[in-house]
Amino acid sequence: MLNHRISNIITALAAVGVIYAVFFIVPPVEGLGEKVRIVFFHIPAAWISVMAFVLSALWALRYLNTHQIEYDRKSATAAGLGFFFCLLATISGALFAKITWGAYWNWDPRQTTIFILLLLYGASFALRTAIHDIDQRAKISSAYSLLSIVVMPFLVFVIPRYYSSLHPSPVINSAAKIAMDPVMLYTLIAALLVASALFRQLFIYYIERTRRRDLAQKDSPEGGGRL
Amino acid sequence: MHTKKLTWPNSAWAILYKDLLCEFRTRYALGTLTMFTLVTLSGISMTLAGAAISSSIAAMLLWIILFFCAMAGLARTFVYEQEAGTLFTLRLYANGQAVLAGKLLFNILLLQLVTALLIPLFLIFLNIEVHLWGQLVYVLFFGTVGVAAVATLTAFMVSCTNAKGSLFTVITFPLLLPQFLTAIAATEQILTDMIPSWNECFFLAGYDATVIAAASLLFDYLWYD
Repeated sequence: MLNHRISNIITALAAVGVIYAVFFIVPPVEGLGEKVRIVFFHIPAAWISVMAFVLSALWALRYLNTHQIEYDRKSATAAGLGFFFCLLATISGALFAKITWGAYWNWDPRQTTIFILLLLYGASFALRTAIHDIDQRAKISSAYSLLSIVVMPFLVFVIPRYYSSLHPSPVINSAAKIAMDPVMLYTLIAALLVASALFRQLFIYYIERTRRRDLAQKDSPEGGGRL
Repeated sequence: MHTKKLTWPNSAWAILYKDLLCEFRTRYALGTLTMFTLVTLSGISMTLAGAAISSSIAAMLLWIILFFCAMAGLARTFVYEQEAGTLFTLRLYANGQAVLAGKLLFNILLLQLVTALLIPLFLIFLNIEVHLWGQLVYVLFFGTVGVAAVATLTAFMVSCTNAKGSLFTVITFPLLLPQFLTAIAATEQILTDMIPSWNECFFLAGYDATVIAAASLLFDYLWYD
């Protein structure tokens, strides 16, 4: 618990440092000006939403192999946090799109992909809430999570083929060259690390909270049938 | 008493035969799906009142009708077993893979039959001419096999929940989107007399093979306690 508090403090200090760098060190970019700062929140949020999706599926697979409810708890928590970060990525992306392209939403390939990721997250929550039995819920949600990750590569392949994109090239492009100012690049890497640390801290907090709630329900006179 | 242990393909065939027999006696799923396609198609045609529509809109309408038609009827394959109380018996007697194969074949047959009924009506009502019939049959076949494969697994998931009808569409749609978008794009090309690229044809078949393999791997986890 003490270690977790120390990690919380370190993460909070690092987050303050990154926010300072984003607003006071990173120079404005030609054409985008000050608006470029949204990128340092948007890219880490998108990164976490995809990472959480993969982690959720990995823990789902471990649950199906071991039937230990702890892995389902981890899978559900990762999905919950992933959904939150996915929402942040969608909103920040829409704001950036409005500033640069003049419209909040235009079904750009990356907007479409993130939207489908939101749909998958939403669908898995709807499925989870519709099942009361804990083991049944864990089993079915895990299978759905794994089926989603099998389908995801098809989306990554198919969507860029059918929708033209105005989205900037990835930081590391197809020519394997990093097309970014060094100060911006280091700030972006720091933002990605801080976002990952934030995800870890939130993950530990929610896992602990869910575990305590499950134990309390188990000890209650009703015995607890649902989370 | 003579007892005979059925092999895996025979069990799958027996389940398919049982479902076909039940369907033949009640004609519930086929009747509902046919009426669903008729109602939707006539609604669209009446609204258009003979006005011409572009190939992209026509392709989109065709696949939207097929998708919602599948959503209206394919969940029944497992939900019916759950409601009738026969799912437990099926668990006792049949191997998980045989159940999946039998139910998947039934759903594929049902959807193919509905597609065969829908296509002539769709072309007549919306006044569309098709010249690339071979390509259209290929896209429709592999497109609907993908829909049936995903829907069979999600139908079983939904049969274990408390919100069967609405949840089925919610959990199936995001999984089907890659197939849906590719099938719409390929159909649009066919309706404009362009042959779809090999990429699209491979994609449709590859998606089907992947989801059938994934469904087969995951179904045993769900079927056995």
